[in-house]
Amino acid sequence: MTHTLHRRGSEESLKNDYVLLVTAASGINHVDSREKLLKVLEVVWEVGPANVGSQHLGTILQGYSLEEIKAALNEVPRVRCCFSSKEKMQEIIRRLKELDLGMSVTVEGPTEDIITFSEELGIKPHSINLSLDIWGKKEELPSEEILEFVTMCGHGLISQYLVKKLIEDVKKGRKTPEQAAVQIGIPCVCGIYNPDRATELLRKYAPNS
Amino acid sequence: MLVDQEKCIGCGVCIPYCPAKAISVTNKKAVVDQDACLECGNCFRNDVVPCPTAAFYEKPGIYEEPRGIRRFFSDPTTTHSVTKVPGRGTEEVKTNDVTGRICRGEIGIAVELGRPCMGTTMIDFEKATTALAAIGVVFEEANPLTQLMIDKKKGLIDPKYKTEKLISAIIEFGAPISQLATILETVKAVAQSLDTVFSLDLMCCFEEDGTLPVLPVLAELGMQPRGNSKINLGMGRPFKIIRESKEA
Repeated sequence: MTHTLHRRGSEESLKNDYVLLVTAASGINHVDSREKLLKVLEVVWEVGPANVGSQHLGTILQGYSLEEIKAALNEVPRVRCCFSSKEKMQEIIRRLKELDLGMSVTVEGPTEDIITFSEELGIKPHSINLSLDIWGKKEELPSEEILEFVTMCGHGLISQYLVKKLIEDVKKGRKTPEQAAVQIGIPCVCGIYNPDRATELLRKYAPNS
Repeated sequence: MLVDQEKCIGCGVCIPYCPAKAISVTNKKAVVDQDACLECGNCFRNDVVPCPTAAFYEKPGIYEEPRGIRRFFSDPTTTHSVTKVPGRGTEEVKTNDVTGRICRGEIGIAVELGRPCMGTTMIDFEKATTALAAIGVVFEEANPLTQLMIDKKKGLIDPKYKTEKLISAIIEFGAPISQLATILETVKAVAQSLDTVFSLDLMCCFEEDGTLPVLPVLAELGMQPRGNSKINLGMGRPFKIIRESKEA
């Protein structure tokens, strides 16, 4: 739970970072929902996600195909993916509203923008999960720059040490920002890590790359 | 996790991938510090770590208690037998439009210890769960951490798990909105006593007019929500947002 919340960064960096979660509820509407989620994956693919994955298999960044990700949907299926623009996110929600599949649809992203485009689509949001920040021994955390990358995987599988190494690799010209952005995201098995945003961050932190 | 010493060529490519910094190279062979290892499975996944000889393997008995909880909580590819949901907690807001887990007039709280980056121990969990239990919090039954308690009213964790470490796990519960201020003050106080960090979530339903009833309370407490959040758009069926009176 909550793994897509708490993405850190400036308003500017997060303004085009959206996560889409379409989920069948175990014991309520999961029976025969697999076909519906397969349809969702097809629509997601048409709109153009930055990443998409399956917790039981892996992501397109790891080299898995859409067909492999579709085949990995289980008896309580879920779609996890991210987009790099508000316009794409709004378009996918418009299409999902038209399909009216009855599955739960949740969006992570800038709160005001999600509320605004929902209103434009005639959608009244049900509930919200707010991030009230990090508490406790914060002095032992890595820098905010590192946290911007690692918090794109809420399960904590992106190591701060991998991020530090790859920022150095970009600075020293051993990797391009695009190559490093993909390599950082490979441990995230769900598909919510946004490589487009990571590329922009790497260009910012290694400006001469 | 363990490293097959015959296969390992000591290249060290695996080292930065470990979020717990548990891997080192000694005598030209990679070794895993078993106390530090959180069993997240990163190093074991050959499509993640480009180990040229696929030298990592699962420790025998890795799914057995008590160490098995490291694997279950830290590796999101595993599925909990109670919730049938992968991960570390419930589906919280993601299916709230059909589960009605949190309805209008209520709040959902999630305290995710260990996140980000630091990991956590069951000792820290018990510091938090006992403090919350003391103010009358009722822990979420469908959350795997709740299942590790031997006394849910007091928030006591089964002693056999006390030495285990995890990437993170989540204390989850619901409450009437009237208890929000008391709960958040308790959470803030607990933060001072921990050897780790936690990420804090607050969940609630939109009112009919689109407002969020928790915002004035947060303003009074000086707690500003971050600008990005998770919003359930209410497209699931059957739709539920009002608690039936017999459930109240």
